[in-house]
Amino acid sequence: MKSRRQFFSMAGMVGGAAVAGSVSRVAMAALPEPVIEQGAQTRPPLQPSSGRPYRPVTTLNGWTLPFRMRDGVKEFHLVAEPVVREFAPGFKANLWGYNGQSPGPTIEVVEGDKLRIFVTNRLPEATTIHWHGQRLPNGMDGVTGLTQPSIPPGKTFVYEFVARRPGTFMYHPHTDEMVQMAMGMMGFWVTHPRGPNPLIDEADRDFCFLLNAFDIDPGSATPRIMTMLDFNIWSWNSRVFPGIDPLVVRLGDRVRLRVGNLTMTNHPIHLHGHEFQVTGTDGGPTPRSTRRYEVTEDVAVGQMKQLDFIADEEGDWAVHCHKSHHTMNAMGHDVPTMIGVEQADLARKISDLVPGYMEMGSHGMDEMSTMRMPLPANTLPMMMGEGPFGALGMGGMFSVVKVRRNQKRGDYTDPGWFKHPPGTVAYEYQGETPPPVRGGTR
Amino acid sequence: MTPVVRRVRGAVGLAVAAACALVAGCVTVDPAQSVRQLDQKVPAFGTESLQFLREVQKPEERREAVKAVLAKPLGQTEAVRVAMLNSAAMQVLVAQNVAEATAAAQSGRIGNPWFNYERMRSEDHLEISRMLSFGVLELLTLPQRQRLAAESRRAAEWQLAAAVVDEVTQIRQAWVNAVASAQSAAYAERILQSAQASAELARRMEAAGNFNRIARARQQAYEAEAVTSHALARQAASVAREQLIRKLGLDATQADTLQLPQRLPDLPAAPLEAAKVGAVASDARLDVQLAEAQLRAALRAEGLNGWTSRTDIELGLRREADGGARGFEVDLRLPVFDWGGLQRQGARARSLAAAQQLEATLRAAGSQTRESYVRYLTAYELARHHREELLPLRTVISEETLLRYNGMFIGVFELLADARDQIDTVRAVISAEQQFWLAEAALQSTIVGRPAAGAAESIMRAPAAADAAAH
Repeated sequence: MKSRRQFFSMAGMVGGAAVAGSVSRVAMAALPEPVIEQGAQTRPPLQPSSGRPYRPVTTLNGWTLPFRMRDGVKEFHLVAEPVVREFAPGFKANLWGYNGQSPGPTIEVVEGDKLRIFVTNRLPEATTIHWHGQRLPNGMDGVTGLTQPSIPPGKTFVYEFVARRPGTFMYHPHTDEMVQMAMGMMGFWVTHPRGPNPLIDEADRDFCFLLNAFDIDPGSATPRIMTMLDFNIWSWNSRVFPGIDPLVVRLGDRVRLRVGNLTMTNHPIHLHGHEFQVTGTDGGPTPRSTRRYEVTEDVAVGQMKQLDFIADEEGDWAVHCHKSHHTMNAMGHDVPTMIGVEQADLARKISDLVPGYMEMGSHGMDEMSTMRMPLPANTLPMMMGEGPFGALGMGGMFSVVKVRRNQKRGDYTDPGWFKHPPGTVAYEYQGETPPPVRGGTR
Repeated sequence: MTPVVRRVRGAVGLAVAAACALVAGCVTVDPAQSVRQLDQKVPAFGTESLQFLREVQKPEERREAVKAVLAKPLGQTEAVRVAMLNSAAMQVLVAQNVAEATAAAQSGRIGNPWFNYERMRSEDHLEISRMLSFGVLELLTLPQRQRLAAESRRAAEWQLAAAVVDEVTQIRQAWVNAVASAQSAAYAERILQSAQASAELARRMEAAGNFNRIARARQQAYEAEAVTSHALARQAASVAREQLIRKLGLDATQADTLQLPQRLPDLPAAPLEAAKVGAVASDARLDVQLAEAQLRAALRAEGLNGWTSRTDIELGLRREADGGARGFEVDLRLPVFDWGGLQRQGARARSLAAAQQLEATLRAAGSQTRESYVRYLTAYELARHHREELLPLRTVISEETLLRYNGMFIGVFELLADARDQIDTVRAVISAEQQFWLAEAALQSTIVGRPAAGAAESIMRAPAAADAAAH
């Protein structure tokens, strides 16, 4: 305790997370101006203007929280507050988040940084922040009741600790967390190595995103916070396909995907066209001897994974959760299978009773990806997305890694659809198709 | 003695002449006249329709008129008109009234004199005597008896008016029930169609291996239920139609041509105001008028009874053939054993009963009107609530259900189940409106002084409608 007091005395503040600064002007003078962001587009990496240098990450459909250096301490200001988040054009949700967005801004620090994080609570109820995965003084761990009193509405608390180990982390509330996480309160955290680290390669493009899930009844906008498992919005950084930006890289780049899972289930993240290695987990960089090539890595509940690959194949490569229901937007999980059930002759009878009825599902659901029928307000079609060859019929946890030869370094602008070299696209066979020979019965 | 006899004869002749004049003047019975009174007696009650009763038409003309009305869907007013023209029951009412009126008039006439002829022979003697005799008391009380007869006839007229109002109310309600239940049955058919579509899809689902037996059986169970309720709804419609047909007095040919409107009339923009309902003075009410007429008749009867219970006097004028002896006889019933006290007591009791009946009617009148009005108003508000709140809400649910189906948040079975729920709501709306029109007919009847049944039914049926809405 003594050392911490000494450490923080230069800030002229009383140390400890239990400091309840009322948001008076005097107190605010000591606070960094909170930075509030609107809009769900991916911001370019935030190059550090002070402190130790590092190669910043790109937060998919998000941003990095600016900091200020004050007497050698890196200061951040998080504001917990209700937000409106667009998941994709046509669907906005009433969430809780930080600094105008859900998820909150990514916090990027460097191993060894002294940190002071002001947390202002503009929610209608108490909150705290737990710095998921961090080594820190117990009183900074953010567990209401256990390690600190909660932050009442309207109050600002201060968290102070040193970023002790490099790696991928998350932050989220530990007060009424069932509700607050269901409402979208979470954020990403990256601690960059202080210098060259034998286990951490320098990445050319470093993308991070949180897996999160919501249950928002079609036509409404606020998550049903009591839902435990049956979610209908499976999102990355509170975005769903086609609202998730593509991951744009230059051919040959070392690309890093940092993925944290704050949903209620695991997500096997699958990358097309490349093999990656798991270079880091919750505990930090993995020993090189444990790394093997994978195309799918499961990210369990509460876990973080760091996947590295060399983007050496040009093209538009899908990256998605391999639970195929998680690459759908809101859908009914109790809808019966209609495949093989002819409805056409009954359709007239039914549409007599239900004007506007259309038969669906007799031949599968692919028709849903092109059908455009009126839906409940503020609701995305279950299957969406238009590609160069037609409808994708996707949603939820799906995006595209766009590997381009001519993409400039540091340029994240979408290059458009891949132009396939001639003769490299699957094509229709024009000859005779003899009936298949079926074995077994003879 | 001769002058006396002459005087008597003269007096008797005069009295007879006067009596005949009275009888001829007042106490004849004209059926058309009786009916004509109705409009004046019940000014607030369907005057337009009642007038058809008085049109004395030939049966063929009536048939033609009925045929013309039946050529189009039959409205409520037209239903009453058809019954007036066509219903044998209605003619029964009129005929019964004529019978009662003639009975009353009869009591106001003077009894015919007796002529007595005696011929007696003894040995060589032949005696012939003739006598004309008549009831003196009867003659003396003639004015009273005529007033009694007039009052009785008036009471009979009120009775007829009351019976006609009852009949009209029943016709109106029968019409409401027939239209509403046909409408409801049509929607039950749509529910059946929906359930059939569900069941057929479910069978195909099972055949394709997408449903197990239980899932298929559940959908089929809806169909089975729908078949039952559809059959009951159709039965209810047929029963209500037949009840109307009987009320209208249609024969088989006419019944075949009977068409009903597709739906009940729209609710009035505003309910009848309480002030207007209360404004019908209680002395304009049929029940009050009837009780008053019955009281007046009872009082007249009591007054007459004061005389007739004590004695009876008969006067005879006699003439002997031989010798020309003339004279008269007076028969006087002597009140020796019976002074008529019991009769007078009975008459007094009847007067008292009639007076108390009037009092009871007067006292109940306001309360009945208020009760009927409350039932009417409640039925109105419920019907409006059903149409303006429940139905739009249900429509929103159905619209959103379709949108949810479009987005594949629900399947076709839920969509069809919702369609059934919506139709159930429509049936609840129909039921609520039916209750309103029944209550309306009951209120119209109550206002003119015939508290009508059917209003109670509306209260009993309302929860059923609410159940249907909740289902």
